[in-house]
Amino acid sequence: MIKFDNVTYVYPTGVKALNSVSVEIGRGELVALMGENGAGKTTFIKHLNGLLKPTSGNVYVDGKDTKTLSVAQLSRIVGVVFQNADDMFFLPTVEEEVAFSLRNLGFSEDVVQRRVDWALKFMELEEYRNRSPFLLSGGEKKRLALAIILAWNPQVIAMDEPTVGQDSMQKEKLKEMIKQLNLQGRTVIISTHDVEFVAELKPRVILMSKGRIIADGKAEVILTDGELLSSCSILMPQVAATMSRLADLGFNAKVISVEEAVRNIVEGLRRLEHTRRA
Amino acid sequence: MSILEGLKFYAGDTAIHKLDPRVKFLVSMLMLIIVVMYAEVWMLTILIAVQAAIIYVAKVMRRWLKTIKGSMPLAALVFGLNAIFFISTGTYTTLQEVFYHSLALAYRLVLFLSSFSIFFLTTTPEEIGLTLTSWHVPYQYTFAFISAIRFTPIIAQELRDIMDAQRARGVELDRGGPLQRARKFIPILVPLLANALRRAYELAEAMEVKCFGAAKKRTSLMELKARPKDYAVLLTALVFFGLAVYYRLFPF
Amino acid sequence: MEIVRVEGLTFTYSGFDTPAISDINLSIEEGEFVLLLGPSGCGKSTLCRCLNGLIPHFYAGKMEGRVLVAGMDVSKTPTYVLSQYVGMVFQNPENQLFSLTVENDVAFALENLGMPRDEIRRRVDFALKAVGIEDLRKRSPFELSGGQQQKVAIASILALMPKIMVFDEPTSSLDPVSAKSIIETIFKVKKELGTSVVVAEHRVELLADKVDRVIVMQKGRIVKDGRPREVFVSEEMIPYGVPVPKVVSMAKGVNRHFKVFNEIPLSSEEFEQGIRRFIHDKVR
Repeated sequence: MIKFDNVTYVYPTGVKALNSVSVEIGRGELVALMGENGAGKTTFIKHLNGLLKPTSGNVYVDGKDTKTLSVAQLSRIVGVVFQNADDMFFLPTVEEEVAFSLRNLGFSEDVVQRRVDWALKFMELEEYRNRSPFLLSGGEKKRLALAIILAWNPQVIAMDEPTVGQDSMQKEKLKEMIKQLNLQGRTVIISTHDVEFVAELKPRVILMSKGRIIADGKAEVILTDGELLSSCSILMPQVAATMSRLADLGFNAKVISVEEAVRNIVEGLRRLEHTRRA
Repeated sequence: MSILEGLKFYAGDTAIHKLDPRVKFLVSMLMLIIVVMYAEVWMLTILIAVQAAIIYVAKVMRRWLKTIKGSMPLAALVFGLNAIFFISTGTYTTLQEVFYHSLALAYRLVLFLSSFSIFFLTTTPEEIGLTLTSWHVPYQYTFAFISAIRFTPIIAQELRDIMDAQRARGVELDRGGPLQRARKFIPILVPLLANALRRAYELAEAMEVKCFGAAKKRTSLMELKARPKDYAVLLTALVFFGLAVYYRLFPF
Repeated sequence: MEIVRVEGLTFTYSGFDTPAISDINLSIEEGEFVLLLGPSGCGKSTLCRCLNGLIPHFYAGKMEGRVLVAGMDVSKTPTYVLSQYVGMVFQNPENQLFSLTVENDVAFALENLGMPRDEIRRRVDFALKAVGIEDLRKRSPFELSGGQQQKVAIASILALMPKIMVFDEPTSSLDPVSAKSIIETIFKVKKELGTSVVVAEHRVELLADKVDRVIVMQKGRIVKDGRPREVFVSEEMIPYGVPVPKVVSMAKGVNRHFKVFNEIPLSSEEFEQGIRRFIHDKVR
């Protein structure tokens, strides 16, 4: 679905944000893009919908070279939700905000109405239909931003730092929505620092540092690799960090969920009990 | 906007940078007055040579040249308009005279910019703020000035982010005739203003918490101290200025 | 010694019908480290702003009850006096820094108060040292990372030498490594200077084992005010959506099979210690 073929991107200031990046993301995958500030995550995301075009190399979205398409055309396939929802709002009501993009992309009026209804319902914003987007709370604004992008049903959804500023219940809800979207067959890419959030989602993790991809694999493998994480200034999720302290005791330390950790510790303790008895 | 390159501060450890900003400001002013007094190419050339020397010592030659280069279109315009004026009104009859006087006026424009350039290239915004305060400009204005410099890059980045966010919704900012493009500014302007207002509110809170406006007489951590070197430079500049004025009034 | 006392405080923002906070009673002593928890909109930010006079001086509304800071009634004392007792650091570091060098920013509040130059210099040195950013002294704020900027913001408030520092979601806009650094800085300040600290935060993993007291708010009211274990371990807090540190869930899970922990750990270190102690005791 998404293919980066030896992509290098250099900003006009001379900063090389992406350095020979090659990666493929299949349809329906759930991917977390991680890395320290300045690793190139946001630059990567901007290449998905054509906001940036590679200085060298090519990006293919659904088989098409992004250099041949406009941002508006690519946005139909790849919906990007940026970090700051406030950067989008300018209309009097929530409903109009969602409808605006649909009209821009050329949908007919009855389709617009249906899609607006669907998006508001899915993001649980029905009750705010006629409210001004400026009067929404932080969490509601983020949901609205997502609703706006979801409305035209892009195959790929990319979110840049969706969890920043959210409390634990809002994050729970967000997690559920991401899972739902992925179950519906959408390709979901989230760029985030939040290791705990990623540990709970267990997606494929692509780890970037200084413009390169330095690791690509399962969350359980990457988030438990202490050296790898510290080389990009990322903290290990608490479960993995705790388990790694106990690695010398023979417990399997490569876990990121509470249930698995408990299971491993209990098994380990049982084994110790047996050897003691023996 | 290469014209602006020569008006932004560029860090350096040179003797010029270390001069008291008040002296630099006064010297720039004196040069400006000389430019106004003389529309003669020879004097303007002397001035530009002096400025170039100062710029060389301050190691900001490249930026200064960028401003000069950037001002060329405007200078050419001034040259052209004045030439037409002189010819049509018959102020000067020979081609040589028309050329010389139009050139002088265009030259003047360049020198105007260049005089300012020296000051801005080698003086930090903070020093400019201190200069204003030392001349008893009320603190609110200095603060507004420094805040503008402080937040301009942030607002500029925000503008780029807003444009990206709206493009990602299908707003095509780069297409359409002038009227269409003007309408497309609303989805850019409204979020920009809303964000600016929100930011202003947060800033006001932080200012309140930092006791802004508490004391009638505000003190400062930094102070401007004029040293012998500064007085020497000022004196030299005044001497040359005096000579220039004298020559204008009593040419020999 | 009591620094802040809140009695029967209810505040309604002007233009709203329902109060943002209702019937708040609490007392904060010298040297206490308090964590303020609660979902978005529960009134944490409002309560924070009542502690230093922003409410009622900066925000309009109806205030009932009273707040005493070092014995002074907040509604009768100007904010610049209160700021020297209660310091406040906000969420977004970018919007708290005003000058073009770190040094000048830390001096900003002191300059506004008209302090003599050598006093300003002394306090700037003190604040930069306390936060550990002396090497950033001459740098420009917008060159710095979010975490560094927030440290400058903390130093600029510390320069006022307040008896209590209030932090309203200070790590919200920061990445985890910077967040950890800021929490550690806050803890360092509390330990070395004895300043009382109130932090409104969601990132409980970093704070659970460091705080003395946890106050949970919901819909404008305080629903729990107790020691960390009372809040994170007890089942009664679950309906309030209090985020629970993962080690607590892990420990409870293990305890169901083996009675490893007598006291549920609040950090990775405590968890590790508990397991090793258990194994050591069993082996003997």
